Amino acid sequence: MARIVVITSGKGGVGKTTTSAALATGLALEGRKTAVIDFDVGLRNLDLIMGCERRVVYDFVNVINGDANLRQALIKDKRTDNLFILPASQTRDKDALTEAGVEKVLDELSQEFEYIVCDSPAGIERGALMAAYFADEAIVVTNPEVSSVRDSDRMLGILSSKTRKAERGEGGLPARLLLTRYAPERVERGEMLSMEDVTEILSIDMLGVVPESQSVLNASNAGMPVILDEESDAGQAYRDAVARFLGEDRPHRFLSTQKKGLFGRLFRG
Amino acid sequence: MNAHPSPIQPIELKGRMILVSILRLHDADTHRLNEALDARMREAPELMRDMPLLMDVEHLTDISEEALTQVIEIVRRRGFKLIGLQQGAAAQSIAARTALPLIVLGSKGGELPLRTTQPPQAEAANESPPVAHKDSAPIQALHTASLVVNQPVRSGQQVYARGGDLIVLGTVSAGAELLADGHIHVYGTLRGKALAGVRGLVGAKIFCRRLDAELVSIAGHYRIAEDILDAERGDNRLVTLAGETIDISEI
Repeated sequence: MARIVVITSGKGGVGKTTTSAALATGLALEGRKTAVIDFDVGLRNLDLIMGCERRVVYDFVNVINGDANLRQALIKDKRTDNLFILPASQTRDKDALTEAGVEKVLDELSQEFEYIVCDSPAGIERGALMAAYFADEAIVVTNPEVSSVRDSDRMLGILSSKTRKAERGEGGLPARLLLTRYAPERVERGEMLSMEDVTEILSIDMLGVVPESQSVLNASNAGMPVILDEESDAGQAYRDAVARFLGEDRPHRFLSTQKKGLFGRLFRG
Repeated sequence: MNAHPSPIQPIELKGRMILVSILRLHDADTHRLNEALDARMREAPELMRDMPLLMDVEHLTDISEEALTQVIEIVRRRGFKLIGLQQGAAAQSIAARTALPLIVLGSKGGELPLRTTQPPQAEAANESPPVAHKDSAPIQALHTASLVVNQPVRSGQQVYARGGDLIVLGTVSAGAELLADGHIHVYGTLRGKALAGVRGLVGAKIFCRRLDAELVSIAGHYRIAEDILDAERGDNRLVTLAGETIDISEI
């Protein structure tokens, strides 16, 4: 049986898809057979970030509706072994995600894969609820600012009551936080919430802190998951997060400003 | 007989607690009333909008029908949802003229004449028979099981301890709401709303390890975040009701 992980947040634009792509790629790099599903029906993005948009033939909704089978719809990643992408439909809306349909697809994927990463759409409506409903655990992506933190809090409340696990009385969904777009110099100037602030407000374990980085945008534009950019701080932070996800104990990095000397400037770019 | 009864019931009856504010009128002068309401609305426009309201007219003696209609019109125009008149001797005669229902609240006891089928007579009503008392008796601190919540209460969640105390072991986030008929204890940080004694228990208290609340309320009296001073926020706080004011002190 696969382990189903939902990447969610409540708020949009905080880095869910970037994180889904990074986590799925990271797990595959560690030799875990992984499928990543885009639940953002109508606003598909994951295929762009993964750089496979030109190879989309069938999508998630086609599989749910029986127009195609899973094997036809899954796209094998070209860069990383063990990694498959199930893209969202661009032409349908989120009502196409039926509970029975989603369950059937996840069950079928579970036979073959070790991890299933569900990239949730923003909001707390049907698409987001469906992405989280069958999950075994959640990663909540948050930016260090108040509105994002509040939306994450709301989402954590929903995860503790509106998932299959909760409805079966197995307790709320285990959830960890991934703090993205972290800018230590702005934290030091008091313009941004610190990691400690966010942890305290949300009372939840921190899976990782990903620094604000130009490399994330560059990677998205190039259609390459940022975790493959081993030179970048964001890529390294995602590697750490994947290692922690798999049970390794690693200290958080990139939490303080690095004083760049001339040497640093020359060699770090 | 219908062999296949529909699984959907035509109606559902659900219990819901809402916070109702009481607007006590001391003056029927419409100009002064307008000014006073304006001032209040400037203080907390969001809170006032669509606020469910009961009017307490016991302090208004012989108000003319015309003035009364005007007062009601003013209150409604402000966006308040006027749901009725608080039960009382004066209200009884007014209610008949305004088509507003009379509503009995659990009160501090003895202040209002209790519901009786007799014509309103203050003296007689105060010694009303026990049956009438039973009907509208204020909520006593009868000890029923407390509700213990051992996880954080998050934004958008609401927890209500009916008939007893509410004990929260974790943090209460901004945007979360706690309600209890009795006391409220929060062993994390209270950032959301906490309403103790929601059915009128004036002795109800709120205890919290750290107070940074959006609103605290006891028996319908409340203070919003704006009215809570920075000095009153902090560790180990106790919120009590003294007369009509909400007191916040260090434990």
